[in-house]
Amino acid sequence: MSPWGYLLFTLWSAVLAVLLHGWQLAGLAAVQMAFGWAWSREALRMLRRPRFWIFVLTAVAVGPFLIGEPDLVLGPLRISREGWAVGVEMAGRAFVLTLAFSVGIGALSLSDVVAVFDRVGLRGLGFAVGVAMNLFGTLREMATVTFQTLWLRGGRRRPWLTLRLFLITTVANTLRYGDEVVSAAAMRAFDPTRGGSGVLPLRRADLWLLAALAVCTGIFFS
Amino acid sequence: MNRYTVRSWVIIGLFGALWGVVELTLGSYLHVIFPPQANTFLTGVVMGGIGALIALTGRHFVPNQGSVFLIAVVTALIKLLSPGGARLGPFVAILMEGLLMEVALLIAGRPRAWGFALGGALAVGWNFFHKFVMMRLVYGGSVVEVYEKMVKEGSQMLGLDISAALLILGVLLLVRLIVGGIAGWSAWALGGAVARRLGRRVPSGEEVVR
Repeated sequence: MSPWGYLLFTLWSAVLAVLLHGWQLAGLAAVQMAFGWAWSREALRMLRRPRFWIFVLTAVAVGPFLIGEPDLVLGPLRISREGWAVGVEMAGRAFVLTLAFSVGIGALSLSDVVAVFDRVGLRGLGFAVGVAMNLFGTLREMATVTFQTLWLRGGRRRPWLTLRLFLITTVANTLRYGDEVVSAAAMRAFDPTRGGSGVLPLRRADLWLLAALAVCTGIFFS
Repeated sequence: MNRYTVRSWVIIGLFGALWGVVELTLGSYLHVIFPPQANTFLTGVVMGGIGALIALTGRHFVPNQGSVFLIAVVTALIKLLSPGGARLGPFVAILMEGLLMEVALLIAGRPRAWGFALGGALAVGWNFFHKFVMMRLVYGGSVVEVYEKMVKEGSQMLGLDISAALLILGVLLLVRLIVGGIAGWSAWALGGAVARRLGRRVPSGEEVVR
């Protein structure tokens, strides 16, 4: 599937996550799981993280105590059935909205993102994202080395001066890396305003996805 | 966009990466130490303040309008493409911070210290509203009822008047605005200091590309 398919799925899922209610949200979650299973299995790893489930289930835990009037006694607890139902729906909405983002846009690679920017006429921004991703590790290493050097040279005794030197050195080194990248780009005659916009055609799977989403939309609203 | 040179895009990419480094290293540590459900204040203030400092320092070297927002776009995409997974909350927060800084710089017109300070204050101030906006977006309208009841019951439990709870919220917002203002002001000073050390001329207000 092309990046357009992933973007379409994210947009479709996000809109339906806001519009649907009750059991329809479970249906949407099932569609998202099927999409993730077929095209974005890495993204489904999120479901193994306790942090994700704490985030989603907080609403289920809080709803019965804070929404509606208590009408059910469970041992020492007085809870609201209405609050329970609302809490479950809130958790469902959080689940599908998070999953929409994760299995859709989250599954795109760096080259996909750059290609999309290129195609929509934002070649420079795609280039900037490429520079950022490729120099990310170098900048992190540089900042770490700078910090450790200053710390070992008595940084603990003069924290404010150390912080100031750290910031100046880090920014100055970042700009020096920038000069090297500009030179490299100039040698390759790169121009962010010119050059053919990369072709990013729709694939057959995108069209099948479009048809499947249209059918699902019809079912949800029928 | 045609006013942006190769150098502009490179610097936007590098400052976006620098902000991304902070988000993915320090941000991850802070989120582990202070889980989002337990504390959003400290993490938001620290990450917002550092983010504003980096993005506004970048503006010194790319004086084009929109450059701070583009730095935020690059950072948000780094966060999105990181192995930690795509999460809607930080993505929206970074973009909103970039947008608010850009609005402040637009209001200031020429590059001015107070414009940078205002930009920083608005960016870090957004963290106050971010949790409410995201909760409303993710959980739906019912979360408002939850918040109202939490404030009422929390006030009763602590023996405080509701107005005292609102006062606490006001103080929390004020702290964010002050920290953001300091971050913006520091970015102004830092950009100037680096430009002087590298022998680069800081662009004057008249040179801002619109």
